[in-house]
Amino acid sequence: MQPDVNVAPLPSIPRRRDLARAHHERGGLVAAVLPIHYPRALLRAFGILPMEVWGPPNVDAARAASRLQPYVCSIVRNALSFLESGGLQIADLLIVPHACDSLQGLGSVLLDFVHPAQPVLPLYLPRNPAPEGTAFLADEFRALHQRLAEVTQRTPSESELMQAILDEEVADDLLRRVHEQRPTLPLTTFDFYHLVRAREFLPLDSFVSLARAILAMPAVKSPPKIPIVLSGIVPEPMDMLRAVDELGASVIADDLACCGRRLYPAGRSRDPFMRLAESLLGGSPDSTRGSPIQDRLDHLLGLAHSTGSRGVVFHDVKFCEPELFDLPVLRRGLRDAGLPSITVEVDLNDAVSHQARTRLEAFLEMIA
Amino acid sequence: MKALGDLRDYAVARVVGPAALRVQRWGNQWRAWRGSGWESAYLAPPLGVAVRGKEMVARHWLAGRYANRDRKVAWITSAAPVELLHALGFFIVYPENHGAICGAARVAVDLSCEAENAGYSRDLCSYARTDLGSLFSGRTPVGRLPMPDLLFACTNICQTVLFWYRVLAHQLRVPLVLIDTPFVYFETAPEHAVAYVQRQIETSVPVLEKIAGRSLGMAKLKETGTLSREAAHLWMEIMQRNAHQPAPISVVDQFTLMAPVVEMRGEPATVDFYAAMLREVDGRIAEGVGAVKDERHRLLWDNLPIWYRLKDVAEMLGAGGAALVASTYTNAWGELADLIDPEEPFESMARTYLYPILNRGTGHKLKTMRRMIDQYSLDGVLLHSDRSCKPYSIGQLDQRDRLARETGVPALLLEADHNDSRCYSEAQVANRVAAFIETLER
Repeated sequence: MQPDVNVAPLPSIPRRRDLARAHHERGGLVAAVLPIHYPRALLRAFGILPMEVWGPPNVDAARAASRLQPYVCSIVRNALSFLESGGLQIADLLIVPHACDSLQGLGSVLLDFVHPAQPVLPLYLPRNPAPEGTAFLADEFRALHQRLAEVTQRTPSESELMQAILDEEVADDLLRRVHEQRPTLPLTTFDFYHLVRAREFLPLDSFVSLARAILAMPAVKSPPKIPIVLSGIVPEPMDMLRAVDELGASVIADDLACCGRRLYPAGRSRDPFMRLAESLLGGSPDSTRGSPIQDRLDHLLGLAHSTGSRGVVFHDVKFCEPELFDLPVLRRGLRDAGLPSITVEVDLNDAVSHQARTRLEAFLEMIA
Repeated sequence: MKALGDLRDYAVARVVGPAALRVQRWGNQWRAWRGSGWESAYLAPPLGVAVRGKEMVARHWLAGRYANRDRKVAWITSAAPVELLHALGFFIVYPENHGAICGAARVAVDLSCEAENAGYSRDLCSYARTDLGSLFSGRTPVGRLPMPDLLFACTNICQTVLFWYRVLAHQLRVPLVLIDTPFVYFETAPEHAVAYVQRQIETSVPVLEKIAGRSLGMAKLKETGTLSREAAHLWMEIMQRNAHQPAPISVVDQFTLMAPVVEMRGEPATVDFYAAMLREVDGRIAEGVGAVKDERHRLLWDNLPIWYRLKDVAEMLGAGGAALVASTYTNAWGELADLIDPEEPFESMARTYLYPILNRGTGHKLKTMRRMIDQYSLDGVLLHSDRSCKPYSIGQLDQRDRLARETGVPALLLEADHNDSRCYSEAQVANRVAAFIETLER
């Protein structure tokens, strides 16, 4: 491969372990947070550094085999394996948001059987989009606030909480702008996700600095690449993104649960908990939040049309029911709108197979 | 012409069909009375009342064929607050029950293939695949499914139903009313969860009334709640009679006889049916009749049944003198009866529908199993690791280990799927069950 002249040197990202250690030295706590949606600002208000656990990929999944059946997805199996192998020892507490039956089961198994050293705090995400859902979520956040106060032995004032929310809204806005400027950023697809996914574990100030640095990069006119939209839960294994780059394509927009579906708008209420709930439920349509499939289809078509994308790649983790149920309708709807799509099913522990790469290559040739 | 068609349908649905089913029931009762038609060396014949249950279910599906002509039809998940819909006069269809019928009739794989050909992954719930396949192909063992005017889903059994019903809502272009029930991780649900469910039930009423074309009468809702509670109480009493040894009614029979309490609770006929069943079960106890002729071992079943191998599993166990005496699954349709309060319908519905076993933690299920082991004097547990039901299955490996370690009762995990026979290995199950029974006999 010829080096891409438009690719800029990357800002360096600190390692999670180093960040956690530094945060501990400052007297703060670290929370390991499972997918997908959670109130980041609420944790920050307690001086807690959230570190998200999307798998991680390539761990010894056998450790979870004594507790979870093989038909549970690798995001959940890997998270448990990682925990049981000591990978989450840096965390002082575990937050388990409710995203699907498997994450629900994991939260329950942790509470009832695994009993990790850290407190386990589950969080239910309402699926009813009506105002009742927003009010309930605000109450869930109030309950979480109380639990966090017990764990940390401190209680931030309402104004401190509101300030944390406003600070996170700034970071969310920067993240949204980074996503919007993606077509002119001098970054490969792999590097783009390497940077923006740092939002999953960086302290607020570090992320804000990083986002500003990305936005300050000189805009480039990219060499002709095949623009595509990426959908799914998480772009792991990340080697798939390298393959996208190597095959001459570029992910120009995404509908990933860990990225594009978490570009939260600011809430409106003056009540901090309602404001958090409004923000979290205001993200783009998401299968795990129970969004109607038509909304998801409209969103995908909107993303593709606004960015000039020529196709959609569904990068789905095996056994992921929320995504798999929507897939046939989404693909049919895209096809009817003249937008080709392909599904690549992955397990977080598998390398990108030659077969998957060949299929992706054939798809990109078709839409080029 | 239309009038003639209506008249014909009316005659079939209300006169000819029911009469034919009644004659069929008389024939079955006659054969049962003569003791003919039952060929098992290990199992007692089914309860006599079973033929009546079969007729009730058949009549329901027969009426369903023509329901779109004169009633509003709701497709509804199995543990949703059905009392509201009964009180508003909806004809109710449970796609999960339809899926189970397809499974028992061994047509589920063919129908699932229809869904898989349309792009639905084999990793999805086999009930959902079966029903989507039936919808796409128009094929069903019940003759014809009435199309819904309303989809009514409650997430207290799984999140899968939400994904599944969203597909239905998109496909059929009908309104979906969702009752979202926060998962209960701890001993009790927080009050804001109860309030959330209650608000959803209350705000669903105007939507349901609009579709039904009538107002919800509180007297009718209370009456429905009362009937629902009575049926659930009777069902619980029937199951509790299995504390007697030998157990008068096997779990395999319960799996089929639970259909009315699932799909017809809130109707007077359901109460009558279970009252008759209780009398017959008491009669068996008085006569010393057990569901397994030579009951030597008493087992608990966890999770959904394997619909396409019900009788085979019963025979396999019966041959080893093992009776399935209790089940967390059938128990779920009776254990919440006390929470139903017809005088406070909305609040009590909120609590009742928050607490099904599938909406509660893995530790709660372990506690339930421990209690059942004591209550029914059980000496073994079979846990069906159901590939299609993650909320029921996740936690079973720990539950198995804890049961064996803490109660001394051996437990066996069986890998299968409630509807998809491609996930069932006959020889493997037979070998494992035989080895398990050997363990019990030591």
